[in-house]
Amino acid sequence: MEQYLAGVNSLTFYAIVAVVLGFITVMCFVFLIKSYKAGVAIGMDPKVLKKTIMASATFTLLPSISILLGVIALSGTLGVPFSWLRLSVIGALQYELNVAEIAAQNIGLSGLNLSELDMGAFVTIALVMTMGILGGVFCCIFFLKKYLSKIQAKPKKTDGAGASKPGFGAHATTAMFVGLCAAYIGSYIGQVMPGGGSNYMPLFVAIVAALCMAVFEFLVQKKKMLVLENFSLAASMLIAMAAAVIVNLAI
Amino acid sequence: MNEKELFFKEFNDGLHKIGRITLVLAVAMLIAVPFVIGTLTGFSPDLGGFIKGFANVGLIYIPVAIVEFLVYTPMLGVGGSYLSFITGNVTNMKIPCVMNSADIAGTTSGTPEHEIISTISVATSAVTTTLVIVAGVILLVPLQPILQTPELLPAFNNVVPALFGALGLKYFAKSPQIAVIPLVLMSALCIFVPSMISQTSILLIPSGGLALLIGFVLFKKGKI
Repeated sequence: MEQYLAGVNSLTFYAIVAVVLGFITVMCFVFLIKSYKAGVAIGMDPKVLKKTIMASATFTLLPSISILLGVIALSGTLGVPFSWLRLSVIGALQYELNVAEIAAQNIGLSGLNLSELDMGAFVTIALVMTMGILGGVFCCIFFLKKYLSKIQAKPKKTDGAGASKPGFGAHATTAMFVGLCAAYIGSYIGQVMPGGGSNYMPLFVAIVAALCMAVFEFLVQKKKMLVLENFSLAASMLIAMAAAVIVNLAI
Repeated sequence: MNEKELFFKEFNDGLHKIGRITLVLAVAMLIAVPFVIGTLTGFSPDLGGFIKGFANVGLIYIPVAIVEFLVYTPMLGVGGSYLSFITGNVTNMKIPCVMNSADIAGTTSGTPEHEIISTISVATSAVTTTLVIVAGVILLVPLQPILQTPELLPAFNNVVPALFGALGLKYFAKSPQIAVIPLVLMSALCIFVPSMISQTSILLIPSGGLALLIGFVLFKKGKI
């Protein structure tokens, strides 16, 4: 385990990730500068453009800290550099963990357990995580130009009687995630039974996380503490993970 | 086509060209990372495990990626779309950030002004996130010996249950009518067929399919 952790946290690995992220950051600056200049060229007020930069930076600060908490959560199993890369590029915490778990099971591990991981498993998990998230990027590379020109050429429907009812698309994503959560929670319930190994810890951790999330949802929805919305997922996870440590020490 | 529209068309064509080239390069770099690490450490990816894992992941996430592409790109515009889809956190960060900027700037979707605001907003957001995470990672490095102590092992071994406990509450509360049947069935399956517990990646397919079917029936009946 120590050898694995040393491997996934090696300096070379930090350097590789820094190169990739450096490239993407330069890409962001190129788009930013080009758009700023184009905005000025079509007569937009530079003050509005600067205000947009400031507003976007401040708006992003808090959610970025929650992503950082996600890096901490992921780094215990996949190391800091790869977690840093995955949560800085394309992915999001829920995707990364779910895919890492699926990949781990498909190479014969019981799941994303630190005690079972080695560099061979890591390389395969990293490849599945990378390839699985590229769908949206490939759509952009191959279809964005055509799709946007079609959409922009279409006359817009106005609200009211002429507007169509939203389709099943939005509900489909929610349903898909409901199914995903049901499969995992079902497996944690199964593990509590004697036939499943009488392992109560995953269910306990899931319940603690759910309770924390319920408190956050209450504070956000009922008490209008909207700032907490950005932290609810990462904070619930970290509290539940801490509960696992405490319970393990106590018994 | 007036002068402004002509300028903007050329500008967008330029963004498409840069966007495609940089995305292809970024994808090549991202795919290369596991192979470079493998080469440096003397391991190569397990092809069988990769194909099985990718098939399971693709079944869930490729449709999600297509839906996200179709729904979000009109809001993000050309530059915003290329940047958002390569930097990620589209739903939870980039879209709200663009909406906030559009509100402040007073632009409406589909106009050249909105495209400019959207691209500036997404680029700034991505750079800010990168800076925050870099600062965090620098702070994390000295904490590594603490994070790697055996006492903390139960925490990192249970990171997935922590995720699905929190997410489960959120999604089940959002759509309890969809959740009940898959949850009961998956629990029963894992209780009566314990070998399925370690096969969550397989369970995801019937569970997701069932939830989609229930969702569709409820949608058709106008109940969601």
